[in-house]
Amino acid sequence: METEQPLASYRRMPEAADRGAPHRATERGGASVTVLTALTALTERPVALCAAAVLRIGYGLLYLVFLLREFPHRNEIWGPGSPWTPELARQLFDQTGWVSFLTLSDSRPYFEVCYAAALLTSALFMLGWRTRVMSVLFAVVVASFHARAIFMTDGGDNLILLMAVYLVLTACGRRWSLDARRARQRTFTGRAGTKNRTAHPGPGPLRQQLNVSRRTVTAVLHNCGMCVIATQVCFLYGSAGLYKVQGGTWGDGTALHYVLNLDLFRPWPELSLLADEYPVPIALACYLTVLLQVAFPFVLFGRLKYPVLALLLVMHLGIAVFMGLPLFSGAMIVADAVFLPDRFYRHLGQVVRRTGRGLMPTGRRSTADGKPVPVPAQPAPSGR
Amino acid sequence: MEWPGGAVRGGVGTVDAGEVDGPGAGSARRGDGRPPEPSRASGRPPRPVKVLRAGTGATVVLCLATALLHVFLVFLHVAPPNPLSRQYSRQIDAWVLPLFEQNWRLFAPDPESVNRQISARTAHTTPDGRVQVSGWFDLSALDNSAVKHHVFPSHSAQNALRRAWSSYLETHGGDDRPHSQRALMMQHYLTNIAADRITAHRDGTFESVQLRVITTPIAAPVFAPAPAPAGPGSATDAPKSAETRYLPWWKVGSHGN
Repeated sequence: METEQPLASYRRMPEAADRGAPHRATERGGASVTVLTALTALTERPVALCAAAVLRIGYGLLYLVFLLREFPHRNEIWGPGSPWTPELARQLFDQTGWVSFLTLSDSRPYFEVCYAAALLTSALFMLGWRTRVMSVLFAVVVASFHARAIFMTDGGDNLILLMAVYLVLTACGRRWSLDARRARQRTFTGRAGTKNRTAHPGPGPLRQQLNVSRRTVTAVLHNCGMCVIATQVCFLYGSAGLYKVQGGTWGDGTALHYVLNLDLFRPWPELSLLADEYPVPIALACYLTVLLQVAFPFVLFGRLKYPVLALLLVMHLGIAVFMGLPLFSGAMIVADAVFLPDRFYRHLGQVVRRTGRGLMPTGRRSTADGKPVPVPAQPAPSGR
Repeated sequence: MEWPGGAVRGGVGTVDAGEVDGPGAGSARRGDGRPPEPSRASGRPPRPVKVLRAGTGATVVLCLATALLHVFLVFLHVAPPNPLSRQYSRQIDAWVLPLFEQNWRLFAPDPESVNRQISARTAHTTPDGRVQVSGWFDLSALDNSAVKHHVFPSHSAQNALRRAWSSYLETHGGDDRPHSQRALMMQHYLTNIAADRITAHRDGTFESVQLRVITTPIAAPVFAPAPAPAGPGSATDAPKSAETRYLPWWKVGSHGN
C-alpha cells in the first residue's frame, strides 16, 4: 500500500484501499513506481463499484417513479396531445440538434408503446439486468423524454439526464444487480465442475489478450465515468453556491423568505407560513445553504465530507417537503451518494442482510456483495 | 471476474480465474491482471497480440483525454462568461450542446420574488358576425390547486405554464411582437396551453385567446430593510406593486367543443 500514498484521491477510492495492492509496480521498481501504480489502479480496478450501483438503482428508481407519477399527465407532457406539439418539438430540434424517438410518429398508440418501453427500461436498469445494454437504453429513454418536453423540465431532470448518460460508461451492474447474482451463480456451478475440466487446454494468447484488453478498457471507462460524475456534482454545487453569493437576498438572509412564498413551490402553505415566521433560523439556513454549496468541492478529500453530506441530505429533504420537489431532491441525494466509500455501502449491505435474515430465517444468505468473506461465522448454505 | 464475495481480484490473476464465466458472458467483469505466463515464456508474443496491446493503450489514453476535455469544457460552459469561454464559445457549444447543457443557477443569484397569476379569455365570432368574449379563466389557479397538499406535484403543474411564460419573457422582453422564430414558437406554446386548459374546463367554441398576466411582488419580510439593488430578474428587480400585462389576441387552431 505504501506505493499508493502520494495519490490522495486514489487512496480514498474505497475499492482500492481495502485490498492488498498489486505488487506489479514494485516488481518493476524505479522512480516511475507512483505513475505505474496510478496507471495500474486506473486500468485494472474499477473503483467505487457500490457507489455506481447506488447511482444505477437510484436514478432507475427515480425515473420509474417519475414516469408512474406522471402517468395521468403523460399525454400532456410527452404525448401527441401536448401543448408543446410534436411539430413545435421537431422545429426546436432542427435549431438545437436534439433528437427524440418520441417525435418519430404523432400517433397515440406509438406513444403508449414508447411509454411502456420507458417504464420497462427504467425498471430493468434499476434491477441491473443486462446492465450495459440497459444503461444505453436508459440513457436514450431519458434523453428522448427530456428533449420532447424540454420546457417542462427543471434542475432535477437535467441532473438525471446527465447521470443517465455518464452511467453508460460505468460498470454499474457489478454490485446489487441481477447480473451480479447471475455471475455469482455461474461461479458456484463453475467451481463445482472445475475438476472435470482440468485437462482442458487454456485459451490461446490472442484470446487472453482480448480478455485483458476488454477488462482494461472496461475499468478505464468506468473510472473515467465515475470521475466525471464526481466532478459534475462538484460543478453543480460550486456554481450553485457561487452564483448565490452574488445575490443580495442570500447575503441579507431573506432569500428563503421569498422561496417560501412562491405559490408553485408551496405545497403546504401552513408549513411555509409557519417557517416564515422565524427570520433568524431562515437567515441561518440561507447562510448555511450557500456555505455548504461553495464548500462542497473542497471538503471531499477529508473526513469533513461526512457532516457536509449529512447536512446536504437534510437540506434536500427540506426542499422535497417544503417546496414539493421530491424528484429534484431525490436526484441530488443520489448524486451525493457517489461520494460515500464502498466500505460504507458494504457495511450498510451487511446491516440490511442481517435485518433481512432476522425477518426471513429460512432465506438464502449467500448474497454477499462485499468482501470475499463478508459475513463472519456463517455456515455456507449453498454451492459448497 | 466476480468471485462469490463480489470482489474483483486485482493484480496477478490465477490462470483458472478467466475460465469460469467463459467468453461472451456479457459485459466484461474480470479483474485478473494479465495473460498467464506461457505466452511470455515461449518468446515474443504474436503480432495480433501486440497490435491489440497497442490498441488498448491507445484506447486508454483516448478515454483519459476525452474525460479531461469533457470536464474542462463543461466547466467553461457552467462558469460565467470569461475571455477563454468567449474565445472558444463555438467549440464549447459544439461539445456541450445539447446533451450536456446545464444551468445550476437555481434560485441564484436571487430567488424569484413575484407570484404570477396568468389568466386567459376567449373570443368567438358568431355566424351573424358578432364577437362574444368570455370572462377570465385563471390558469395559474389550476396549477396552485394541483400543487397544494400534494407530496409529489406534477411537472405539468409546477413547470409547464411557469416555464412557458419565463421563456416567452426571455424571447420577447417587454414587446409582444415576436422577433425570432423561437419567440413565435413560445407564443404558439402559450396559446396552446391556454386553449387546452380552457377547452378542458369550459364548453363552447372559440377562435382566439387573450392572456393576462398579473405579477404580484412578494412582500419583503417585515423585519428586513428594503433590499439592495441587484441583477436583472432577481428578487430586487421586482415591481413594488402588482402589475398587469395584457397580451394581444392570438388565433388558435380548431379548439373548443
